[in-house]
Amino acid sequence: MKRHFPLFSILLFLSFVSYAQDLNYPAMQGFSLKTNYPVYVPENLWDFINGAADNYLAYGFQDLHVAEYKKGKDIIKLEIYRHTDNINTFGIYSSERSPNFRFVNLGAQGYIADGAVNFFKGNYYVKIRTYSKKPKVVQVAETLAYKVADMLPGQTEMPALLSQFPSEGKKINEETYINQSVLGYSFLNKAFKALYQAGSDNFSIFLFENPSAGGTLQTVKAYLKAVGSDENIADEGKIVLNDKYNGTVFLAWKGTRMVMITGLAKDQSGIADRYASDILGSEM
Amino acid sequence: MKRIDRRGFLKTGLTGAAGLAISPAVFDSKFTNQNNIITRTLGKTGMKVPVISFGVMRADNASLCKAAYENGIKLFDTANGYQNGNNETMLGNLFKDVPRDTFYLATKVKPAGVDREGKPGPQTTAEDFLARFETSLGRLQMKYVDILYVHDISNVELLNYKPIINALAQLKKEGKIKFAGFSTHRNEHIVIDAASSMNVYDVILTSYNFRHDNLDELNKAIRKAAAAGIGIVAMKTMAGGKLVNASAALKWALSNPDIHTTIPGMTAFDHLEVNLKVLSDINLTDQEKNDLVAHSANPGLYCGGCSKCVPTCPKNLPIPDLMRAYMYAYGYSNPLMAHSLLHELEVVGNPCKDCNECSVTCSRNFNVRNKIADISRLGSVPAEFLT
Repeated sequence: MKRHFPLFSILLFLSFVSYAQDLNYPAMQGFSLKTNYPVYVPENLWDFINGAADNYLAYGFQDLHVAEYKKGKDIIKLEIYRHTDNINTFGIYSSERSPNFRFVNLGAQGYIADGAVNFFKGNYYVKIRTYSKKPKVVQVAETLAYKVADMLPGQTEMPALLSQFPSEGKKINEETYINQSVLGYSFLNKAFKALYQAGSDNFSIFLFENPSAGGTLQTVKAYLKAVGSDENIADEGKIVLNDKYNGTVFLAWKGTRMVMITGLAKDQSGIADRYASDILGSEM
Repeated sequence: MKRIDRRGFLKTGLTGAAGLAISPAVFDSKFTNQNNIITRTLGKTGMKVPVISFGVMRADNASLCKAAYENGIKLFDTANGYQNGNNETMLGNLFKDVPRDTFYLATKVKPAGVDREGKPGPQTTAEDFLARFETSLGRLQMKYVDILYVHDISNVELLNYKPIINALAQLKKEGKIKFAGFSTHRNEHIVIDAASSMNVYDVILTSYNFRHDNLDELNKAIRKAAAAGIGIVAMKTMAGGKLVNASAALKWALSNPDIHTTIPGMTAFDHLEVNLKVLSDINLTDQEKNDLVAHSANPGLYCGGCSKCVPTCPKNLPIPDLMRAYMYAYGYSNPLMAHSLLHELEVVGNPCKDCNECSVTCSRNFNVRNKIADISRLGSVPAEFLT
């Protein structure tokens, strides 16, 4: 174990200084502000959100700052979760959103539902909640959300890889990012997922971006082994497989990208072909 | 959208483990090795549950839950708040067409307005609690759930809170819940002990693991509750450790006959496969015992904040806070946060330097003196190096 703090280590840490240390919560007229919550870190997040914590930890949770705005019996709670990066932040945000919510232009994206105003921006996932039914209090919660969004640094765009999903048949606001165990396999990590409807068929597309083409091939081989296939593979290809857990899986890969499609029957390879090739390139 | 040639999937054709395929649309409730599955009765509920149940909390793959069900797991545990409700929706879509008497569903609803000490507040109302439960029931697409837990009780005041107790009674009367319970992971022994005499709660979901603080007190409370006919379900059996031998940790929990089932979280099929083996064999092997000893001896970095150490320190140092500073620095590589905390505590220099011997005892066996000596040096680092 490291026993001291050499100067270079301290300097190295400079780049990781948490902005959240210096949070300056917006004032809301008529509401008192209470900030005497601990800063939650991975080891004690359970104390605040119980079993839901595991999902946050899986998406690179760093710390959580909590504040309460109070006026009489009305309370608005502000929670600012910081994650390791923008993609993980989208991951946790998207795991909790529903297409039925009312989406608003907050940060990269936000929504309002049942007294909650949630959004993400950069590495921050912000959740604002009130149990008050008073319209004025709900309005203050929304105003607070916009003030916090202005206050926090970070990009206001969705992760770039999401734009690679074909728009035809894609269900709006149902894209997610799965950081671990895609399709239930420990070795399949870091995939964007989009849901599609083509006629009466519903299916899912998983898109992986590996750092290298070699990494893609390793992942393909690991998956083929897991489903009991001894197929020899080339640098790029398309295979349809019977996965004992996930049913029919269409697998395609090229370069640094890999696509898996589930929910289609084996005789629907034409649909899978169209979508996989649209993502990976028409020359496949 | 671009059109492409069709040589890809069509050329390659079918391959893979066709013999192992199952229809994704059809449930097969025939348990694998059903005769070997160890079950226990969940107290007076009479529910016979396999010793391994499924903590669904972050599983987003319905195929995983389906595989668990097909292999003999019967009780699936979710909560109103998990994935903002998406977890319940996933389970509802999965089980809506499955014979209702072949599985058990448990969910949890957290009362609104509970303060940091776990006490109910003005917003803790039956109306809100019932509304949240109705939302859960709708997502699950069920007429009833087998167990509804009040989520996260750590204070006897909330345990005894009449509006919530009355809400549970109402839901039972309406047939929307079979049994009522609560979950707890702070002050467990206190609330479990109190619940034993109440005749309100049928099931308790408690954190329980080989590294648990106050294990003797917790075991006593669990014994009392089980003797009173309350079903006991264990969670957090892995002690939060990713390196823990999962099978050993589960078997350790089940070595207590008062633990009727466990709800390990599973997100991958290899987790499931490990846990399924425990379904039919809960005896610890010598290797597993050794692993538990090794894990127990490594207390990690996290101070549980029991504060039992504080009175044993002649200087009355804020030891839990200092351990937290140590964790910030070494666990999270964030010396700035540790530095800030040290200055907030007004610790500059080693506060232990005048003591020849350390009288502090730590429930987690931390070497408190060494850790304080180590971390306190950071307080002397000029702030300009950190800000």
